[in-house]
Amino acid sequence: MNRINPLYVGLLLILFVVFLAFRLGSIKSDLVEAKEEYAKISKLAVNLSALKSTYADRKKLTNSLRRILALSAVRQANIIKNEKKSNVKLSSQSMDKKALNVLMGKLLNSSYNITSMKIKKLSKDRVSFKMEIKW
Amino acid sequence: MNFKSKHQTIFLDPNSQVALSLQAKEKLNVVLSPSLYWVQRVSLPVKYVRDVKKLLPSLFEDILPEGSYSYSAYKSDDEFYIFAYEDKVILDTLTKQGANVALVANVYFAQSELSGISQSKIVSQEESLYLKDGLLTMVPRSWVESNETLNLKDIELSKHSITLQQFGHIVDNKSLYKIAAVVLVISLLILSEYIITSQKVSDIQNAKEKLFTKYKLKSTMFQNEAMFKKYNFIHTKQMNLRKTVATLLALKLNSNEKISILELKNARLNVVFSGVSKGQEFRIKKALKLKGIAFKDSFKAGSWHLEIVL
Repeated sequence: MNRINPLYVGLLLILFVVFLAFRLGSIKSDLVEAKEEYAKISKLAVNLSALKSTYADRKKLTNSLRRILALSAVRQANIIKNEKKSNVKLSSQSMDKKALNVLMGKLLNSSYNITSMKIKKLSKDRVSFKMEIKW
Repeated sequence: MNFKSKHQTIFLDPNSQVALSLQAKEKLNVVLSPSLYWVQRVSLPVKYVRDVKKLLPSLFEDILPEGSYSYSAYKSDDEFYIFAYEDKVILDTLTKQGANVALVANVYFAQSELSGISQSKIVSQEESLYLKDGLLTMVPRSWVESNETLNLKDIELSKHSITLQQFGHIVDNKSLYKIAAVVLVISLLILSEYIITSQKVSDIQNAKEKLFTKYKLKSTMFQNEAMFKKYNFIHTKQMNLRKTVATLLALKLNSNEKISILELKNARLNVVFSGVSKGQEFRIKKALKLKGIAFKDSFKAGSWHLEIVL
């Protein structure tokens, strides 16, 4: 005969619903955070990947550089290429201004990480050239 | 072994002026006086008690005064004994007569437990229990000639007990079930929303892991952010270099003015102009300022030196 007051049962049910609603609110907030974090990582990943591919892909950069140096206008400038693990150094004691124009046009229009460079005028048509590119 | 017989059995009558003699903390079996219920003996074209129970409210519809009733029934031979009672009235009577409701083990109708008595039994100074046409009723003691007093000690109780709805007057069962159903539906909706949301969170976590694999990211965001910062710095410097060189090459110089040295070292671009005399450099400086290029300049050994921080 000692039965539970239905008001207590009702209160318990309401507490259960409140608990569920609280848990739902918490997981919704987790969802918003997860979405924001995903968007942030996604943006970072795309940008980082693009930058790495531009400045740190050694294979891609050396291939592209080889093609530039193989151009007939540049080839005759006798540019010395000294390639190392993390960089490449290009130099020419003397090259004509036409070759310099072609070479600089190609290098500056491509995405190389040029860390040092020196172009010195030797005469009206000739210059000395030094450049270091890192990856 | 009959465990029910171990409990004290009392006869509960609302008109009794004598308080019940109860033993503290001992469970009770309560036999309800006919004054506490309405009874009918009916023959119905149904086989089972469960079928009768559905009909009980309508069978009593025209008889009962206004109130909140519960119903019960049992079958005896081919007839059904059907009952209507007010839980609150019974509970109030129990309390009024000093019984602890929590100690009540079982509640019975006098009809089901005492219908085997010989015609009449004295219940109190004023009343007697009277059996007529198989139905027990309470009558004034003076109406019947009997010297036998009701004795509940030796009676064997039946299985026809009822459970009193202690809180039936607050919320009836139907309303309670309706409220419970609504709460259950709300709970299910919230629960399903919770499961769907959890799944979405889990999907995003998986997608995040795939992103790390696809773009070969480092394991922590700190490392990735540091790496991005490094490459972004390189990118900014390289863009500045190209922009500055393009500006320098686009300068309108006089025929005797030449760039004799162009040197990049430690993120600084040094430019040496030959043929630029003092005061003549103003034109070039103006052009550089218009392009937003900051610089330092000086004259050394007849040449104009320009230093631009990238």
